[in-house]
Amino acid sequence: MRARQPDRADVVEREGVKVAYEVFGQGEPGLLLIPAAPISHARSWKGLVPFLSRHFTVVTVDPRGNGPSDRPAGRAAYGPAEMLADQLAVLDAVALTRAVVVAHCHAVPWALRLAADHADRVSGVVAIAPAIALAPRDEHWAEPTERWADEVDNPTGWGLCNRHVWRQDYPAWPRFFFDQLLPEPHSTKQYEDAVSWALETDPETMIAEREGRDAPKDRHAAEALCRSVRCPTLVIHGTEDRCQPAAGGQRLAELTGGDLVVLEGAGHMPHGREPVKVNRLVKEFVDRIEGEPMRRQVWTRGLRRPKRALYLSSPIGLGHARRDVAVVKELKRLRPELEVDWLAQHPVTSVLEAEGERIHPASAWLANESAHIASEACEHDLHCFQALRRMDEILVANFMVFQEVVEEGLYDLVIGDEAWDVDHFWHENPELKRGDHVWLTDFVGYLPMPDGGEHEAFLTTDYNAEMIEHIARYPRIRDSAIFVGNPDDIVPNTFGADLPSIRDWTETHFSFSGYITGFTPPDPDEVPAIRAELGYHDDEQVCLVAVGGSGVGRALLEKVIAAYPLAKRLIPELRMVVVAGPRIDPDSLPSHPGLEVHGYVNRLYRHLSVCDLAVVQGGLTTTMELAAAKRPFLYFPLRHHFEQNFHVRHRLDRYGAGRCMDYATTSDPDLIAAAVGDHIGEAVAYRDVETDGAAHAARLIAELI
Amino acid sequence: MRAIVADVEGSITRDGITIHYERYGSGTPTLLLLPTWSLVHSRHWKLQVPYLARHHTVLTFDGRGNGRSDRPGEAALYSMVEFAGDALAVMDATETERVVLVSVSSGALWSLQLCAEHSERVLGAIFIAPRVPFALPPLEHVVLQRFDEVVEDPVGWEKYNAHHWKADYRDFVEFFMGRMFTEPHSTKQYEDAVGWALETDPATVIATHNGLQGCTPDAIGQLADRVRCPTLVIHGSHDAIRSHAQGVALAERTRGALVTLEGSGHFPHTRDPVRVNLLIRQFVVGIG
Repeated sequence: MRARQPDRADVVEREGVKVAYEVFGQGEPGLLLIPAAPISHARSWKGLVPFLSRHFTVVTVDPRGNGPSDRPAGRAAYGPAEMLADQLAVLDAVALTRAVVVAHCHAVPWALRLAADHADRVSGVVAIAPAIALAPRDEHWAEPTERWADEVDNPTGWGLCNRHVWRQDYPAWPRFFFDQLLPEPHSTKQYEDAVSWALETDPETMIAEREGRDAPKDRHAAEALCRSVRCPTLVIHGTEDRCQPAAGGQRLAELTGGDLVVLEGAGHMPHGREPVKVNRLVKEFVDRIEGEPMRRQVWTRGLRRPKRALYLSSPIGLGHARRDVAVVKELKRLRPELEVDWLAQHPVTSVLEAEGERIHPASAWLANESAHIASEACEHDLHCFQALRRMDEILVANFMVFQEVVEEGLYDLVIGDEAWDVDHFWHENPELKRGDHVWLTDFVGYLPMPDGGEHEAFLTTDYNAEMIEHIARYPRIRDSAIFVGNPDDIVPNTFGADLPSIRDWTETHFSFSGYITGFTPPDPDEVPAIRAELGYHDDEQVCLVAVGGSGVGRALLEKVIAAYPLAKRLIPELRMVVVAGPRIDPDSLPSHPGLEVHGYVNRLYRHLSVCDLAVVQGGLTTTMELAAAKRPFLYFPLRHHFEQNFHVRHRLDRYGAGRCMDYATTSDPDLIAAAVGDHIGEAVAYRDVETDGAAHAARLIAELI
Repeated sequence: MRAIVADVEGSITRDGITIHYERYGSGTPTLLLLPTWSLVHSRHWKLQVPYLARHHTVLTFDGRGNGRSDRPGEAALYSMVEFAGDALAVMDATETERVVLVSVSSGALWSLQLCAEHSERVLGAIFIAPRVPFALPPLEHVVLQRFDEVVEDPVGWEKYNAHHWKADYRDFVEFFMGRMFTEPHSTKQYEDAVGWALETDPATVIATHNGLQGCTPDAIGQLADRVRCPTLVIHGSHDAIRSHAQGVALAERTRGALVTLEGSGHFPHTRDPVRVNLLIRQFVVGIG
């Protein structure tokens, strides 16, 4: 899911060629973002658009040749006059009188021409990894440049940049090229994105653009172009850029009298690989040249400030919300003076509002992670590792919101319950850390699903390695790391080839709070009264069917509903209660005489804690509520959900709790009905779940305050 | 030892009165740190100059009546037009075309004079704890009415009195500087300010007070309404000399930004120099 939808998407048409653009926000100043098309397109700005469009109007253009724009044939269609006219047409279409132009690689000469020839329309240029002939290119370009039109036998490496190769096996080029352009370790997602965008165009378009491109060919012409630019400029260039030498960027800054920001160790795609840094650089540049009027503000002298914490609760599912509220209640008992703000999004906010917690107004700016996860799911299937990877632009967008909040909010403490964005980007940009940071999680380590093969194992290993390197290099980013559980809850796996055992590493780097239920399960002698209050009778065998707050659970609900008539025949005293949750319309589910179907049920955990059997997904919160209440239950982990299939299952096995059901092989209605019959009302002997986890976590946090 | 030594020290003479100025650093735009009431002199900017001079040309001068500037006796020579004239003369002497003005307290009066009457030479103006005759607290009104009366054994604000100054100037200075710093743990700032006040004399300070009689709400209000440059007001919530409400009013009349320093007194640039330095820099960068 995109982090920010455009307010307007349209095309300009010139001489039959359509060029697409998108507009985010409104008013001046405006930014025009031009990607290096056609090998890339406007989605390459996805890390920048959500943040910049909160401050400025952002217009992204898809230059002819890729994305939703036309791909005209023939090199003449890609000459400098055409590119210039396209960009002017877009500026006219969006009614921007002036814009700061942000361009990447060979889009930079287009931006410079626009600034030189239409100085009244361009108030500044940001050149990222500019392709301009101001410095000798790396030696590896010599052969492809000379032999571009030759037929080359068995080309490899840079030799793949060849007209004939592109016609025969175009994908080989972007696969090699972007591997070279992303020399930073742990760039798998950026690499996949870049290659996939390149494959959205075709070799003939690529060839036409390359041959039609009329960038200044020699140093003299390039210098003349630079000297004709009068507006302020900012050049951002990585030292490890294998496409364009950083010396060229440096010279561009000198010739235009602009600023140069060298990104040490960065490759050719810093807007993709270092989005936080590039976002901030672009904003600082625009603020400086456009002037940023100061706003009304209050600064409180240090010794007068109340102690304040900002709490971030993972919005994926509702489970974290209740445990985090429980932690905060205990924390306020220990530190009554502490003020807590929540940066949170739906559905967590609904729990917080009910508890009277204070929600920071910037929460409204957050891109919704829960909606993204729902969009990634299909029939009882959620590949949550890939869903997290594809959430990259949402994480950047939300981190930028968070960072502005902590920079203005004077917080002493940031508590993140699986706030991936904060933890990841503070490690990537450690100079941005504000306040102490507490990291909470209930699992450690990405694990590959077996059917993902070697490649998925490679990816999870790479993500784990990056996390391990983060913590090793910057132990100061996590002032406290709390594992919600016990050492025995940790899976026996390693982080991947040549990486440590997850348990050893986690025991070294975490404190353990024990499990946090968020509520105290009823004593056995309290159960009858609660059952009576909820309307469950002694002569009934109550089976609750629930799938949490997301829309992912519909398939399971339908399977269990289909099993109802069979189960009812097996167990005449069966009373089945299906809870559809807030995102599934109960009326859209099949019905049977005697079957109860509800939408949202307030305080569902109380129902679960007194039922005779529950049928649920494999999420940690619900299954552990059932384990703590010592109720029999069947759980179906979502397919491809590594956390539910490995981490949660391992923990439940340790407690001896629940019967794991494989959706693929045991979800036939007769099998479900039989399992219901086997387990309903059975006595269980689970290991006790601690009830002091929230207090324990609060004590660990309070040490920092 | 000073943290930074002036690159240029010089003086200008207007109508026989010599004003001492200093120039530090280089870089645009130039910042002119204006004098305030001559109870103190330009050393009160000592915590701003070293930082700001690394980014900008910084001009300071001792207001007439203290420091190394002359101390004429007549009240008429301490009007806000005279202070503004000194500022222009210092700018001319240093070949400075345009400046960002930074003022504290009474410095707001000459700053407004410059913003309104010489707008072509002002890029922007920062007012710290501005003294403007808007939203005056009643207490001050009462005190000022009795300035020339003889008050026996004055207590509190009654010490703001010409006869008392002549009789026991130091007692007034210690009282006044005590009110300047409402923040706990301000002993050094207090000692500095008392020391600067004792470098001048009661007769001069009485003249400076009487020189500002023309600063009526109407007169200053008209100047404020004519300000067109970007402005920023920085005002402490615990300012016991010039109420926070005055800063709010000035920000509104000049359509400027307001930064409230929660818990700060009347001289936040000496008591919270880091925050004030950063705010000055942020404002200057922001006006481009």
